[in-house]
Amino acid sequence: MALEDTRRLGCGRSIDQIWAGMDQPPTSHEEDCELCQAAKARMQKIKEATVALRESDLHNPEMTLPAERTNSIMALARAEARRSKRLVLRGTEYGTVEISEQALSSLIRLAAAAIPGIHSRRCRIEVQSDAEMGSTHLTINLRVATASGIDIPATVEGLRQKINKAIPAGVGIDAGTVNITVEDLYDV
Amino acid sequence: MNDSNPACDADTDEGSIVARAQDGDLAAFEHLVHTYQDRLFRLAYRMLNDRTDAEDVVQETLTASWRALPMLSDVKAFGGWIYRLATNKCLDLLRKRSARAETITDPAEIHSTLDDGATRAPLEADPVASAEWAAQQDGLTTVLNTLPAVQRACWLLREIHGRSYAEIGVTLKINPTTVRGTLARARRRIAEGMSQWR
Amino acid sequence: MSEQNLQGSLINSELIASLAARTALETPGVLRLEPTIKGFLASLGPAALANFHISGSQDGSYRHDGVVARINDGTATVHLDIATDIAYTALSVAESVQERVRENICHTGLNPGPVHVHILTIEASPGSIPR
Repeated sequence: MALEDTRRLGCGRSIDQIWAGMDQPPTSHEEDCELCQAAKARMQKIKEATVALRESDLHNPEMTLPAERTNSIMALARAEARRSKRLVLRGTEYGTVEISEQALSSLIRLAAAAIPGIHSRRCRIEVQSDAEMGSTHLTINLRVATASGIDIPATVEGLRQKINKAIPAGVGIDAGTVNITVEDLYDV
Repeated sequence: MNDSNPACDADTDEGSIVARAQDGDLAAFEHLVHTYQDRLFRLAYRMLNDRTDAEDVVQETLTASWRALPMLSDVKAFGGWIYRLATNKCLDLLRKRSARAETITDPAEIHSTLDDGATRAPLEADPVASAEWAAQQDGLTTVLNTLPAVQRACWLLREIHGRSYAEIGVTLKINPTTVRGTLARARRRIAEGMSQWR
Repeated sequence: MSEQNLQGSLINSELIASLAARTALETPGVLRLEPTIKGFLASLGPAALANFHISGSQDGSYRHDGVVARINDGTATVHLDIATDIAYTALSVAESVQERVRENICHTGLNPGPVHVHILTIEASPGSIPR
């Protein structure tokens, strides 16, 4: 079976090689080789039909997921997202104030979006609350990807400062400890 | 989309978007849903030939991906992973169908189940060329439907969706050499089928 | 028959929940109350809810999207799940919600108990400029 599947023409070229080169101009070998030309001609119709199918499916408005399916997916995701970790910001006799880890990380992401050359990735936040519930210390662990070729230490420092301002402004507590890890580079 | 969330910037790399979605960022997940839902639908529709089944598979795949995202260790592997989830859901469904012996094998019947728009030629195209084009395409989709499910999956993933041999191998739990062999068999059957059909 | 019984029949947990919800929505910086899983399932219909039992739903408390209220011995306790506007400081918004809700509970004649506020998301409102 395996031999049959990698069949070769008399000239030594495999059918796979010819198929892979279908949409390219003939190689110098193919220009002279009748076997290759004949094989190419035989497969031309399949190639054309394949390309036509790919293109028509791609541009056919019927070949898309209906909006109500997308809405169902997002509605379920939204409902399940509410289970994210809660962090206690304040606890008094008037009641507690909690914030979801997600609400905090969205502020951090927004801060990161303002810094060119950085894409925020995963964000983990821990909170240590004082026994009297008067003070709260955050530990923010943010992973980022940076653009290749930028000054990483300066950019990361800029991000740290941005977060140090954004958390008090947006949440009303200090940013606490901000750990930033560069885990990847992306091409610009 | 939520404007306060930077997840949807056109230039954000997919790895970062995946990482944010792993953290439960809904806008990032929504971005991924929009990126992949139609591709997956086109795959599922060509695998299953049934609009509702294809929609179900895509919805289940993307919902499952939201739940399983935190377990994905390499953010750059999202594309391959989501294709794998969808392909295997299609194959499971086809297995269930054939277990119920409800598989449609008559090409005419397959045709009647095809969505009208799915094989329609562009209106502005030259009538002769578009008739030729539609005929070829119909021939191809008809033959595709007669292929064994794994061969069909292999062909669609490679030739229509441009996925790599290595990724297809992981998806179908076969090695890349076997992927090549399966593609070659699919190609031969398509060649035979199309010449009969014409 | 004590006064408390009379009070209980006049001012039930549903009323307190709706009062708390309205008060929260009127507080500057609150964008909306956030639906919970139960609210989402309710929107899918009774079949979805049948498989989803919330313990404590028969204790006289009242739940609606984003708000739970309970009256116990003349004291009202409230839980609110809110989305806040990024142009405001979330903690101040939450504390202001606590204060206003407690104040309005006082007006009903009940004792204000703790008002627990959970900030689920912080977003830009359509008109606000993100920081």
